[in-house]
Amino acid sequence: MRNSAENSPNSSASSLKKHILPVLSKRVGSAIEGALIYGLEPLEEIRLRAEKPLILQNYYKEWFIGADGLLSSKPSGSFLVSQEDIRLSLEMMSENSIYAYQDEIRNGYITIKGGHRVGLSGRVVLEGGAVRNIKDISGLNIRLSNQIPGCSFKLLPYLFRNSSDIYNTLIISPPQCGKTTILRDIAKTLGTGASEYGFKGVKVGIIDERSELAACMKGIPQNDVGIRTDVLDGCPKNIGMPMMIRSMSPAVIITDEIGNDGDREAVQCVLNAGVRIVTSAHGYNISELKSRREVLKLIEDKVFERYVVLGNRNGPGTLVEVIDGSTMKPITGAGVNAF
Amino acid sequence: MLFKIVGSLVVILSCSFLGFILSRDCSRRPQQLRELQTQLQMFENQISYLSDVLIEAFERVSRVGNSETGLIFGKAAEILRDNGAQSAENAWEQAVRQCMRRTALNREDEEVLVGFGKMLGSTELDGQIKNIRLTMEALRMQEKKAEESRNKNETMYKSLGILGGIAVVIVLL
Repeated sequence: MRNSAENSPNSSASSLKKHILPVLSKRVGSAIEGALIYGLEPLEEIRLRAEKPLILQNYYKEWFIGADGLLSSKPSGSFLVSQEDIRLSLEMMSENSIYAYQDEIRNGYITIKGGHRVGLSGRVVLEGGAVRNIKDISGLNIRLSNQIPGCSFKLLPYLFRNSSDIYNTLIISPPQCGKTTILRDIAKTLGTGASEYGFKGVKVGIIDERSELAACMKGIPQNDVGIRTDVLDGCPKNIGMPMMIRSMSPAVIITDEIGNDGDREAVQCVLNAGVRIVTSAHGYNISELKSRREVLKLIEDKVFERYVVLGNRNGPGTLVEVIDGSTMKPITGAGVNAF
Repeated sequence: MLFKIVGSLVVILSCSFLGFILSRDCSRRPQQLRELQTQLQMFENQISYLSDVLIEAFERVSRVGNSETGLIFGKAAEILRDNGAQSAENAWEQAVRQCMRRTALNREDEEVLVGFGKMLGSTELDGQIKNIRLTMEALRMQEKKAEESRNKNETMYKSLGILGGIAVVIVLL
């Protein structure tokens, strides 16, 4: 555990104190603060479920908070979360302004300061077949976003075409394998430049639909995403990509989790403008991705020149293979940890 | 004799001055009620078009104009910021109660404002806007009442001041 904390020079400990504990109900916040003196970094998830034990999860295992206030691995007799805790926490997460977060709540999550995403479950209120609201929220899943500088360095050489151009790239990864973290680091490296590889920085445009990549507060990225990077925060990808191209003339567009309706046209629009794209998709390998219509079309169009497959064999962000998009042959297949 | 005339003039003038001050106070209340309506309209714009969270919207409203009613918004933002764990309803109510003494508003107006806080921040946008409109409607009614009592009282205080002064002079003479 200690070892892993040293391996990942991230800011999750300070971010936990600064962004997450203040938005939890006092009872839960102080319980976590008390228990974490004994070190549990990097945390990946904090789960609050009504009438159920509080669960803290890092990469290795899940933890409860025992009756003595210390971390324990057994759920029996551990700290229970009440519905009131969840209600209070949600109120603080939305800064007492549910109305400002209503679109996000409809999608089932809100993004809090620091770019951490909080998933919600509860009773869904429907209107005309569409989700209007989620009420009686009974479950919160706080996913800590970790910024890990340099985590994309092992895969970057496969992305560079020359000193100021890159290949169109799709990052394929199962959930919780560091997709967003790697994408964020790629944005930073492309925007700032990497003298190690002789790569000059280029203009980067991020379409940050879920405010996870750049974690903007009042429009200013809280995460380091590079010095030549513009961020369109909270904008749907299919609208944001053409918008960004017209307005900010980027050389590279970066966006997370592609594959919804309309994404294909937007990507085509990016390519027609001569702009490169780096994006990601949920999946374990390419053949699985092909079952998704919108992504399959993009693969058939030979949009992407590089496919980067991530796994978690050696921890999140393990580089499984890099595939050449034109030949569909692997360029590398080393099971090395990209972090 | 000259002394008496000057003395009477001073008494009459000071009494009518008192009357004018009281009558001016009457027009402060409708004016502040109008200001509140403008501020609520601004607040609505802040949360609907800019999607500002409560603290930001309150601060922005309180910065515009330098009125006594703006203090309530500023105070509410301050309370919310100092103590994140507090609900918006409590913060608003505290702010209203604390700032009320510095305004010309009466008890009835105060209750209208406190009522505004009941739904503050806890519903989606439509609910918020309805709440704002409802409060503005109530404030408009209050303004109408205040205007009526102003019309009545303003002239009354003025004439009372002058006539009172004259009456005092007659009695003293």
